Amino acid sequence: MNDERWPNNARSAVILTVDFSDDLGVRTQVPAIEGREKSLSVWRYGAKRGVDRLLDAFGEFDVPASWFVPGRVAETHRDSLRRIDAAGHEIGISGYRCEDFDALDLAAQKHAFDTGQAALVAATGRGAQGFRSFTGNWAPGFAPFLQERGIEWSSSWRGDDLPYFHHDAPLIELPLHYELEDEPYFAFNLAPPVPVGQSRIASYREVLANWKQDFDAFHRFGLCFVLRLHPEITGTAGRIGILRDLLAAMRERGDVWFATGAQVAQWWRSQRDANEPGHPVEIFERHRSALR
Amino acid sequence: MRAIEAARPHWPEGRRSCVALAFDLDGPTGGAMLDGSIWRNPSYFTLGAYGPWRALGRILDVLAEHSVPATFFIPAWVIENWPAQCRAIVEHGHEVAYHGYMHEAFWTLSPDEQRDVMARSMRLFDRHLGVRPVGFRTPSGDWSVETMRILPEFGVCYSSSMRGDDRPYLLDAASGLIEIPARWELDDYASLAYQRNPDFPAGLDRIASYETTLDNWCREFDGSHHDGLAMTTLFHPKVSGKPGRIALLEEFVGHMRAARGVWFAKCSEVASWWTASGQGTTT
Repeated sequence: MNDERWPNNARSAVILTVDFSDDLGVRTQVPAIEGREKSLSVWRYGAKRGVDRLLDAFGEFDVPASWFVPGRVAETHRDSLRRIDAAGHEIGISGYRCEDFDALDLAAQKHAFDTGQAALVAATGRGAQGFRSFTGNWAPGFAPFLQERGIEWSSSWRGDDLPYFHHDAPLIELPLHYELEDEPYFAFNLAPPVPVGQSRIASYREVLANWKQDFDAFHRFGLCFVLRLHPEITGTAGRIGILRDLLAAMRERGDVWFATGAQVAQWWRSQRDANEPGHPVEIFERHRSALR
Repeated sequence: MRAIEAARPHWPEGRRSCVALAFDLDGPTGGAMLDGSIWRNPSYFTLGAYGPWRALGRILDVLAEHSVPATFFIPAWVIENWPAQCRAIVEHGHEVAYHGYMHEAFWTLSPDEQRDVMARSMRLFDRHLGVRPVGFRTPSGDWSVETMRILPEFGVCYSSSMRGDDRPYLLDAASGLIEIPARWELDDYASLAYQRNPDFPAGLDRIASYETTLDNWCREFDGSHHDGLAMTTLFHPKVSGKPGRIALLEEFVGHMRAARGVWFAKCSEVASWWTASGQGTTT
């Protein structure tokens, strides 16, 4: 391992990411929700109330965040995007309508990206440097395409607690962990049911305790903590306190590097040019390509 | 004397109870690899690969710190793809044992298919680790009626596949095959595992509180220790070796370490003791 894993002798890195998908994410996940206004309003709450509440919390603790929007949201919620942009946060792209890339071929995935990116450029005057596949995957050949389009980093795959390179493009992955996402703990709708088993909403106190323990460990081991939030889930009056308490615990450490995805990707690329041998992405590609 | 007390096992050197910590190092093997869908699902592949790639090393550190032995049940595909990581298990003095090639569901395989999986696994354990395992844990828990007779053909002396007891027992008088049963309560999937596409839990139930999970685990140990039983675990590095959960393992092992009279053993030692002490005569 590198002696200086993070800049300025920081012990760990924290990337706060927000999926601002309005009602598009849930419409991809739960097609049966189409036309059900009450249920859709659960997710639309994010744009109406959650975004500003998250912006306030990030501002209070003076931390940057990396937001992902599908291009359609840049068209429908231009003012929200301008407020996010004006607050100094990064804005990445998650397709045009939070498409499920597992259901699209490579050409359709490229089209979703290009349409989304064009909408973002039209709304903010700038394209994204970061990309998130809404459901996590993409077809072989998509990473080099992202690279061609000027994308520097992705936060879609898993398998590591440090950044890594995709095998087929110098694209940096900032890997996810379900336990660092708010959706598995809190997303809820009665009917159509979300989650599908109608699980109870988790205890706020216990989730905060889990996240603090997760963060303590990422910090202890010097890792890259990628939090994944949603405005409609964490940006509520009752749950924003969980985020505030977590950010306060992180700030108390003093040696945490709060950075955007683009900053971490740039740093990682400046420090090394390849993964350690045996990395999951290389094993995956070795077997995948042998299948053809 | 009450029945539970009367059936209390006895352990080496008059120890009160036995703990055989065990980890299933599944990596990305399992149903999605067996049906090939994982090769279109890098998000899921990488989720599983985290186990051998990152979590295993931290677990080995915890075990070394507390000087406790463990048994790792490993699908041979994982050994083939991360041989250096798996060699570290052996170098740390832990036991490695069979767990299928790609985590096959043995109850769906014909006897000859089961033999193929065992033979292939045996070659890979030998080639990469120089080890001839004596233990077996059925991937997914269930086996077919023939499995019990197939295992001894490959030098297997014990299984840790069943759930129906809290003490070892004799599975097959002809071969002397011993069972070291586990319990769902000590499977980290029951509390902490979570994934989408494929979904687990099937209804996408929540990840449990770490604090209450640890409390459950400690109570499981306390009860097992009180009754003088053999406790093993179904922990998965990709689940309980995540950074935030390493502290759970540390506290759990610390809790057991603080108790007096615990015999920490590898599963093969438990099986040998059970037979040698004359307790392995009843099923």
